[in-house]
Amino acid sequence: MSFGKPSFDSRPKNENPKSKIAKARPAPVRDSVTTINADGSHHALFPADVHGRFTSWRRYSAYLLIGLYLLLPWIPINGYPAVFLDLAERRFHFFGFMLAAQDVWLLFFGVSGLGFALFFLTALFGRLWCGWACPQTVFLDHIYRRIERWIDGDAPERRALKAAPMTANKFTRRVAKHFLYIVASLIITHLFLAYFVSIPKLWLYLHEAPGEHWAAFLFVFIYAGLLYFNFAWFREQLCIVICPYGRLQSALTDDHTVVIGYDATRGEPRGRLGTPEAGACIDCNRCVQVCPTGIDIRHGLQLECIGCSACIDACDDVMTKVERPTGLIRYDSHQGLMGETTRWIRPRTILYGVLLLIGATVAAFAFSTVKPASFLVYRMSGAAYFVGANEVRDQFMVRLVNKRTVPATFTISTEGLPTGVRQSGFNSAVTLEALTESVSPLVLLIDRKDYTGPFKFTVKVSAAEPAFTLSREIEFMGPDARLLEEEDHEKGIKR
Amino acid sequence: MKPSPSSSEDSGIKLRDHVYDGIQEYDQRLPNWWLNTLYGAIIFWVVYWFVYMIAGIMPTDGAQVDAEMARVAAVKMASSIDVTNDDTFWNMSNNGVFVDAGKQTFNSLCVACHLPSMRGKSENPTAVGPDLTDTAWIHGGTPKEVYHTASKGILDKGMPAWEPVLGQKKTAEVVAYILSHHKKGELITVQEANK
Repeated sequence: MSFGKPSFDSRPKNENPKSKIAKARPAPVRDSVTTINADGSHHALFPADVHGRFTSWRRYSAYLLIGLYLLLPWIPINGYPAVFLDLAERRFHFFGFMLAAQDVWLLFFGVSGLGFALFFLTALFGRLWCGWACPQTVFLDHIYRRIERWIDGDAPERRALKAAPMTANKFTRRVAKHFLYIVASLIITHLFLAYFVSIPKLWLYLHEAPGEHWAAFLFVFIYAGLLYFNFAWFREQLCIVICPYGRLQSALTDDHTVVIGYDATRGEPRGRLGTPEAGACIDCNRCVQVCPTGIDIRHGLQLECIGCSACIDACDDVMTKVERPTGLIRYDSHQGLMGETTRWIRPRTILYGVLLLIGATVAAFAFSTVKPASFLVYRMSGAAYFVGANEVRDQFMVRLVNKRTVPATFTISTEGLPTGVRQSGFNSAVTLEALTESVSPLVLLIDRKDYTGPFKFTVKVSAAEPAFTLSREIEFMGPDARLLEEEDHEKGIKR
Repeated sequence: MKPSPSSSEDSGIKLRDHVYDGIQEYDQRLPNWWLNTLYGAIIFWVVYWFVYMIAGIMPTDGAQVDAEMARVAAVKMASSIDVTNDDTFWNMSNNGVFVDAGKQTFNSLCVACHLPSMRGKSENPTAVGPDLTDTAWIHGGTPKEVYHTASKGILDKGMPAWEPVLGQKKTAEVVAYILSHHKKGELITVQEANK
């Protein structure tokens, strides 16, 4: 990523009417994190209110996401919640599609698919995920910051309240705010738990003594505590210091990636309204005041930027007021901001796109081959084979698992057996109750005179409705056929 | 990336003295919360070490496993039956619940060799297993001997050991089902023949 931007001092000058704010909050620089003071303490931000099209759209999409999060465990599909990761039964329900513990390997596609999708999206649009869809941002901006705004007022009021000595009014507000934070954290945590235990079971847990389900109780207690700490105090530190995805960004984006940027060609040199020769930026500092991670977007793309688009709306608002064209800060690539054309199709996007496509194709194939049963054929314990007076015998076990939630009948058959091989007492049809498994013996015998050596054969399991067949190859083992023949010859047995 | 010139002079950003290939390093403090996680881990280690290794206030993992295994063994013993007592099996063979449960297991597993009729080679000479309904036994015909055969198997003849697969209860149920085809006190013969 090129940072070949013109260098300039963005800190408000002393004659700047905003210098009061500048004192209360150090001007952001690119070489250190605004929210970490020189002594290592946390610098709390008071992002100003912002209105505009991106803010509105972000709010709508966040409400949709929060609504989905809260509702999914309540919507039954095929008798199970829409998303239900049933850890107790080790069964995972996704919108009527069920995966059993035996299908966990498909998780690989979930993880790698998410990775490639993020790669592709980031190469094209930067940190769109962070600003628009990440739970951290969605919950923080659209639940916790709304509570804060409601109780404590706008940014100047919040800052004043923090500086004010403790009074009955301040104390009441603090208690109310933190109480609501804790309530929100508890709601989020309980719904999170519901994804793993289902709503009825959660309801049961809630109505019994904590000691009855102490693990669930402890989980809720710790998880809600973490959420509360994160959203009440930690906030942007998670994005800046802990989240690895923010750090991957610089490796995934390039000069043609659309990010949030400042049009320095148009904006510079900055100057207040009426300054001759000045660019479009009136240096009002609104973009800095609204930033939830405390950066100055005019310094260019920085690791703290979560792409929340607050500065775009703030700047557009100011530009409209001073009757200048909007878009001084906008979604654009570095090339676009420099007046060049953004190339959408480039080696990076092609590579990530192809990887995503390959992954998606293989995943679609893998998921389509998931069968509602799984089965295994293995040798019974004991010797590998038995040589009797008249026959050679191999003993196998067929283990069948009905992964579905309804009873099913399976037909077990063998294929590729040489002539002369017979099965002993073999039940070809097995009926299994919902979510149960069975083990059935499969004993194969062949007369000594027909035996010509070890061979491979196939065991098949088929079911109707939905019709499917699973097959496994296994070897019939036995002695060397010639040795057996010699033994018979010595003993004078007729073959 | 080169440091932005706006910063290094008066914004409190310090650079380390050393320079390698023209690359310099910032000298900035870690966030205090970050350092506190380190100090917290050190304190946790000291407390953990003292509580588990020195003071013995909490049982070690090994002691916990031993205690749990002892508890499991006690439960097992309390719920297990005396498999050396023939009368236990005879009583079970008169109890419909045990016999039905044993029949179910028999019909899903044992039938492969002994046939559903339990008559094995007597019914069909090409069957694998011997007849279990007659009074002639190969590996002992008292209930405890039958149980031993079923649970430990006759491995060189292909009879698997079923207790590791089924557990004591189910194996005993199967024995009860077999005994339900017999009478207590009937004359039995033991022969080493290939039935």
